Amino acid sequence: MTLGAWAELVASGVITGGVYALVALGLNLQYGLMRILNIAHGEFLMLGAFLTWAAQTGFGISPLVMLPVAFLLLMALGLAIHRLTFRRLARTSADLDVFEARGLMVSFGLMFLVQNFAQWLWGGELRGYDYLADPVAIGDARFAANKLVLLALALAISGALIVVLRTTLLGKGVRALMQSPTGAQLVGIDTERLHPLMFGVGLGLSGVAGCLLSMTYTISPAMGEPYTVTALIVITLGGFGSMAGALVGGLALGVIEAVGMHFTNPSLKTLLSYGIFIAVLLWRPNGLFARR
Amino acid sequence: MNRHPLVEARALTVRFGGLTAVDAVSAAFAPGELVGIIGPNGAGKTTFFNALSGVVAPTSGELFALGEPLAGAAPHRFAEHGIARTFQTPRVFASLSVAANVGFGLRFAGRRRPVPALLRDEASILALLGLEAQAALPAAAITPSQQRLLEIGMALATRPRVLLLDEVAAGLVEREIEAIARLAHRLRDELDLTVIWIEHAVTTLLRQVERVIVLHEGRKIADGTPAEVVRNPEVVEAYLGDEMAEPA
Amino acid sequence: MMRRDLVILAVLAAAALALPYVASEFVVSLALSCLMYAALASSWASFCGSTRYLSLATAAFFGIGAYTSALTLGTLPWLAAIGLGAAIAAAVAVVMGAAVLHLRGTYFAVLTFGMTELIRHSIAYFEKQVTGTVGRVLTVVPERDTIYLTVLGLAVAAVLAAIFIRPSRFGLAMAGIGADEQRAETLGVDTRVVKIAGFAFTAAFAGAVGAAMSVRWTYIDPATVFNPFIGFQTVLIALIGGAATLWGPLLAAVVFSLLAETLRLQMPQVYMMSLGLLLILSVLYLPGGLASIRWRRA
Repeated sequence: MTLGAWAELVASGVITGGVYALVALGLNLQYGLMRILNIAHGEFLMLGAFLTWAAQTGFGISPLVMLPVAFLLLMALGLAIHRLTFRRLARTSADLDVFEARGLMVSFGLMFLVQNFAQWLWGGELRGYDYLADPVAIGDARFAANKLVLLALALAISGALIVVLRTTLLGKGVRALMQSPTGAQLVGIDTERLHPLMFGVGLGLSGVAGCLLSMTYTISPAMGEPYTVTALIVITLGGFGSMAGALVGGLALGVIEAVGMHFTNPSLKTLLSYGIFIAVLLWRPNGLFARR
Repeated sequence: MNRHPLVEARALTVRFGGLTAVDAVSAAFAPGELVGIIGPNGAGKTTFFNALSGVVAPTSGELFALGEPLAGAAPHRFAEHGIARTFQTPRVFASLSVAANVGFGLRFAGRRRPVPALLRDEASILALLGLEAQAALPAAAITPSQQRLLEIGMALATRPRVLLLDEVAAGLVEREIEAIARLAHRLRDELDLTVIWIEHAVTTLLRQVERVIVLHEGRKIADGTPAEVVRNPEVVEAYLGDEMAEPA
Repeated sequence: MMRRDLVILAVLAAAALALPYVASEFVVSLALSCLMYAALASSWASFCGSTRYLSLATAAFFGIGAYTSALTLGTLPWLAAIGLGAAIAAAVAVVMGAAVLHLRGTYFAVLTFGMTELIRHSIAYFEKQVTGTVGRVLTVVPERDTIYLTVLGLAVAAVLAAIFIRPSRFGLAMAGIGADEQRAETLGVDTRVVKIAGFAFTAAFAGAVGAAMSVRWTYIDPATVFNPFIGFQTVLIALIGGAATLWGPLLAAVVFSLLAETLRLQMPQVYMMSLGLLLILSVLYLPGGLASIRWRRA
């Protein structure tokens, strides 16, 4: 394979990986902070994608404009969902294990609700639109412009999130809560406000990922689930609670998939993903669900 | 007659990542002993119990029950070999009745073990504990000190030879602690049970037991009669730094 | 108490037995679907309801049973094919269980889902690449009544098993695991063996039901018989009905079969959305499930 061909392969892996990282960061935020395993995470990505598509095809609004809009809309949705469901769960669960199990079931229900709502509203067919689809040449390789934009934005947003978490007071509060819930509360960090906010941010990130995806790929109401699974794999690979790990893990998984698919068989992609998932969970269980 | 001690730990070590909770502790226990384990905060007492009951696998060292190596075995095998324990915070089955809670151990580890009259069935165990009146109540509905007793009853239902009591006196009033101590003595006298008792309140324990093991930062620093241990300079030194324990 | 339950079961079984003689084709078809989920949800609840290890692997075992009967019906008699489907599913469960049952509840749920998808994609890949088929046509198909009777038998067996398991040592062990696993262990429960046995139990039923139902469709492919929705619906029904109760899953299976038939053809998405909404509402406000409002003693 020529160097150019390799570069294209790895780069296409990095591009998908960028989206994976974004989705994984949102999921990590929710699980690491609140032990909410949001199995419906991918459905909100799908909502972001559809909202962007609807705005673009219905009103001609550019997806770039929809980026912050999707984020805010989905963050608001996240705040509402948290207030209506998880907040009550937290108050009525005897211990963390019970809360986690009930949270899983609630997000299960959300998955059904959101996915079928979308299907009901928009129908099950694939949809898409063209946006910046012209190819751009970098060295020997050629990429669609929208894919480059996708990568750049995914990395930028992921990077921004990590920076916010590391440097701002809010971010430090979140990280403190993730490390030691009681300790953080003792020091005065307000979980009542931070939890719904971060849940919302997690959902917002998912929506942004969906918005970005809609620029380059076709979308359908069923598109969310594979991304949820991928996000779970990424968090496991990258190490639970680690934001930087989710970023690196996402990019790595994208590349592994691209290379794996190229050298074996594209239809093995899902097989490969699930295989990696199970293997990692079995041999490195501390990656995702370790007791702290 | 088995010449092995009832329970024996040899150089038992439990490490969690960088922290050594139990550091090469060796101790042997004979039938009918009433032993107390004391030590300042973080001494590794509960971790030692966790290792003795199979809840935690030792990082190194050996553990024997009547000569049978048990290190690393699942907790149910420890119970089958006659090692029973209580937990610091009572872990009763909240939705079952008090009688059913006691009955649980009887149907599992207690099933294949020799049956002494005192531990014949739910009724006799409840009578032993003074909980007959509460038999039909859900375990969640009894008072915390009654739950402490139930916790002991659940352990006794496995018809053990060794009973590990983990800070059963915490939060109880003098009268209740005396009752538990009397129970421990009775179990030892009538069943030849070995009772190993962790307690944070040192003076309470020293009055009741015949042998004391002192742990400090995971190591065993003393093992003898209460009188000997109390005069041990290393023990005094260890406790000077800990405000929670009462001075000897 | 047990006698009362057995009487109720006998009455229900008799009613279900008489149905094909008095009701229309449509009603019988509805009843069949109801019986299928009754069998799946009851057997699922017997293990997952009491141990609180939520298995999302029902579709995997269902599909394994379906493929077993599809492949063996030409050579084996009907009941043997069903039995084989159950046995293979149980064997897979033992292997799967040995690998993942030492993990905590939520973790276990996600892993069983992953393994189900892995099995589905593996078989799809295998069929495509190795045997060159996409799906399989069933040529040897028993009569409608045989299928109905078999699934009825499985549903009755599932509830019967639940009735006998609950007061038994096995049932108590599972309840102990659900209440406080470590405590149960220190009281002498070999949790590993109990969990694997319980998991294999649910797998055997799912495999048997899958083997029986595959002939309903006459053409099967991985997407249909390994459809995760089968597993999701089983879990939903058991949870909404009351996974720790005896009659909850059965009750919910009836309710949802009716709901499914009335909604599914016109508005399938509305049906699914209401399932999701009902699950959320029941987890939030009725954690014991529907059955807990009826039978206060349960």
